[in-house]
Amino acid sequence: MSASKSGPSPHSSSSAGADAARAALVAAMQRLASGDQSALEEIYRATNVKLFGICLRILGDRKEAEDALQDVYLTLWRRADRFDADRASPISWLATFARNRAIDRLRTGKVRQGAVPVEDAIDIFDAAPLADEMLIDAERTARVHHCISALDDKTASAIRSAFFGGRTYAQLSHAADVPLGTMKSWIRRGMAKLKTCLEKSE
Amino acid sequence: MTETDHLAAEYVLGLLEGEDLLSMRARMAREPDLVAAVSFWETRLAPLMDELGGAEPGPELWDRIEAEMEPDKPLGEVVQLTQKLRFWQRAAAGAAMAAAAAFVLVLLQPLPSVAPGTDAPSTDAPLMANIPIGETSLRLAVTYLPDRSEMLVSASGLTADGVHDHELWLVPSEGELQSLGIVAPGEERRVKLEPKLAQLIADGSQMVLTREPIGGKPANASAGPVVAEGAFTAI
Repeated sequence: MSASKSGPSPHSSSSAGADAARAALVAAMQRLASGDQSALEEIYRATNVKLFGICLRILGDRKEAEDALQDVYLTLWRRADRFDADRASPISWLATFARNRAIDRLRTGKVRQGAVPVEDAIDIFDAAPLADEMLIDAERTARVHHCISALDDKTASAIRSAFFGGRTYAQLSHAADVPLGTMKSWIRRGMAKLKTCLEKSE
Repeated sequence: MTETDHLAAEYVLGLLEGEDLLSMRARMAREPDLVAAVSFWETRLAPLMDELGGAEPGPELWDRIEAEMEPDKPLGEVVQLTQKLRFWQRAAAGAAMAAAAAFVLVLLQPLPSVAPGTDAPSTDAPLMANIPIGETSLRLAVTYLPDRSEMLVSASGLTADGVHDHELWLVPSEGELQSLGIVAPGEERRVKLEPKLAQLIADGSQMVLTREPIGGKPANASAGPVVAEGAFTAI
């Protein structure tokens, strides 16, 4: 497996290490897009822990999350040409992709709802971020955290549980014990404020 | 924010469900503004995922993925293949006609429990979709035969208006709408699908039917209005 040779050591989180790992991942994605199937294993080794964490958080069930993850890599194998290194960091792109596929499984009813009590699912992960997560753009990370923390608590919390927990409006309003319409307007107003804040700092 | 921005934000947060989600996907295939708005949110929110700790999937997962990647699984005995083909031909002929009945059956059955360990239906099993047309009682029956990468489209109840054609589209979970061809009113048509297109079809795959000028969507124009939608179901 070549990734371990060219990637950073697992404990290195220096920005040089992160840059090298990012470059290795971009190169592997480009090799995959040009038809080199062996590149998928390298991508898998470098990203499966991160992407599985995302799928598991949203789906709350290991088997479902594994099926989602399999789907992510097989789709990537077929459609690697869709990644554009000039426009996105590879790990952000893959993370978004994995999250979308997991949400999709929730919404298309492939997953038995309530397989894991919602409260249990939320607390599965309190693990410290892994070194490879440093691959995500640090500046953008700081910006979105800043903008979310500027929202009032109830709005920020609703937006976060939609984003991380795959909750629907109905589930969010139930959890916060407010009418559906109230939850919708919290989220809509919150996202409008968030957008203004994100644009201001660009 | 504009209504487009709000919709994009809700989509990216994962708040859209059912019909809203379907129509959002269909719109994204036609409206670059909407795609740009979705991309704004996806890029800005992606760093939040930094907060999530990782988790190790089962060690056998890579083997599963690699097995699925085999480019061409050996075709096996010609005889076996022919038998299988005949079986699905018979199944398909009945299937298109029985699609309406089967659909009702599926609705009446209790929801299948997706208990851990329950396998997905065999990948060889046909997928069916029964698409109601607008407010009418008409239905478009679509059967997909994975074994043969063929699709049967039965539009026996439909009549041509002489001005429009209807085009059937697959709504992939990622990317643009893929044309499944023009629907021939009053006929049952057998359509061979390109492998790339066939790979995108799975249990739950959604389709939309759009109204187009005669001959289908012109290459340089956007797709016409969505007049019906439905999804494939494994029977």
